[in-house]
Amino acid sequence: MKVHTQDEFVRAHESRWRHLETLLERKRALYQHSAVEISRFAEDYRVVCGHLAYARTAGFGGDLVAYLDSLAGRAHNALYGARPLRVGALWHLMIRRFPRALRRHWRAFGVANLLFYGPFFAALLLTLKYPGFAGEVLPKGLLERMADMYADAHSGREFGTDAAMAGHYVHNNIGIAFRCFATGILFGLGSMFFLLYNGIVIGTVIGYVIYRGNGENILTFVCGHGAFELTGIVISGAAGMVMGYALVDTGGRSRLESLRACGPDVGAMIMGAGVMLLIAAFVEGFWSPSGIAAPVKWSVAAGLWLLIAIYLVVAGRGGTR
Amino acid sequence: MVPSNRVGLTQRKPSAVPLDTTAEVETPEHIRFHYRIAGPARRALAYSIDLVIRGLIVYAIFILLILTFISGDVTEGASFGAIAVALFVIEWGYYVVFETVWSGRTPGKRMLRLRVVKEGGYAVNFNDIVLRNLLRAADILPGIYSIGALVMSLDTRCRRLGDLVAGTMVVVEERGMLGQPLVIHPPPTPAELATLPSRPPVSPEEFEAIELFLRRCGRLSTAREDELAEMLAPNLAKRMGHPRVTDASRLLALIYHRLTVGEATVPDPVVTPATGRPRGPWG
Repeated sequence: MKVHTQDEFVRAHESRWRHLETLLERKRALYQHSAVEISRFAEDYRVVCGHLAYARTAGFGGDLVAYLDSLAGRAHNALYGARPLRVGALWHLMIRRFPRALRRHWRAFGVANLLFYGPFFAALLLTLKYPGFAGEVLPKGLLERMADMYADAHSGREFGTDAAMAGHYVHNNIGIAFRCFATGILFGLGSMFFLLYNGIVIGTVIGYVIYRGNGENILTFVCGHGAFELTGIVISGAAGMVMGYALVDTGGRSRLESLRACGPDVGAMIMGAGVMLLIAAFVEGFWSPSGIAAPVKWSVAAGLWLLIAIYLVVAGRGGTR
Repeated sequence: MVPSNRVGLTQRKPSAVPLDTTAEVETPEHIRFHYRIAGPARRALAYSIDLVIRGLIVYAIFILLILTFISGDVTEGASFGAIAVALFVIEWGYYVVFETVWSGRTPGKRMLRLRVVKEGGYAVNFNDIVLRNLLRAADILPGIYSIGALVMSLDTRCRRLGDLVAGTMVVVEERGMLGQPLVIHPPPTPAELATLPSRPPVSPEEFEAIELFLRRCGRLSTAREDELAEMLAPNLAKRMGHPRVTDASRLLALIYHRLTVGEATVPDPVVTPATGRPRGPWG
């Protein structure tokens, strides 16, 4: 009588395991292989799963079980992994998932709007009525510089300056929005703070520039990109608050599950906001400072605000996917 | 006054989760895998490597732009615009791009054999990657990833806030090695084998213990090897009617040889999971 040992088991199946290993080592992802190879891979994966279960029950050595465990685990990851990103998915996000997620969380979006535009208009009106208020919020030097910046109507700059500013806006504004979103995980507090803070600062600056008599210049400048930028920042804050609220009202789940459940919607919202802010940066860099006549800028801005409103309300309605 | 029936302080519920750093994942096929969770030290190291790489990229872009600026091909403004965009992409996009293209790995993670996976052991998708990396901005607060480290220390799977929201974890991809076949050295002599019965009375559990012991022999010190062998060999020797054991581990090796090679030269039947493992004479 003979006993079947680990060595015999290894000898009988080693070539199959090695084959699977070489497939896993390849640089190409699984979906890029031929159909025959993929089905061979799936079969090998199932066989290795069987071997793993067998090795465990047969009480084979820890090394062998660990080897099969890791091999089956990696094969599982490769086999069940979808392609992480497809262009179609990005399109689907912008045309459906993002506006839908935003509408699902319309309360958070509403609150974020209040938190931003409330202080914005309050600071704006306070500054117009009591110009001293601006000095309490921001340093005098900064306010003067802002007022001087808008002393002349924009009459177009060189391409280089436009590009520099566009780059600066990408770096600065999207960074602010992302931080506004991420800090929402702290029970929503971070997002609320950044919304209030940005509302106050932007309102004060615009109010002060109007007070100094350059109101038309600054409003003509911001009206275009504001449609994308302000909406983008508010949506980032809303996404952060959805996350924070998931920690407070868990709907009967554990806090962790509740947090994870909001992940897909929150992800769609922040990616949508990111795209809007990216558009805003280029509008702000190239369109807003151009020498185009103010009436044209105002009409275009009105069109953009309307377009965004329609997009957020209508896009992705109907259809099941 | 403390109520007399309070004994809670000394009673402890046995933990349902083993106290180790592996995550068990069960697939629809009812196969369980174990992933080794990456600890904070390993992740911090991977982070530092990525930080250095990011620094070098920024530096390289900076040099490149200065050169193009000197040569006069681009205006100053365009260079600064490009630098600002590059900084943004490296600050927020580095991890997103690499984890998307390399399925959950960055250069730093790759060097330390780390990978981001979904909690079910699946590959990460773009949504998760964006979430876990944007939330770095919260984990990093108030500097040097303090919140992230705190959250990781409280979580059994060492997840930071970004991982919690995205439903991901970072695992160490261990590449298990296939051990060498067991060879008894020096080969058993016929004289040695003659001292053994043709069917040594060994239970399946004892056989397993012997096999595990022999596989570990090369990695043990001689003293430890003897100590372990002495635990089993005298019992077996007594059962086989041997008066005393001179070399305990040699005896175990011989028993293993007799049980596996046997006396007759029967061709090895292929062991398959379906048929199960044939049992020895002890059933």
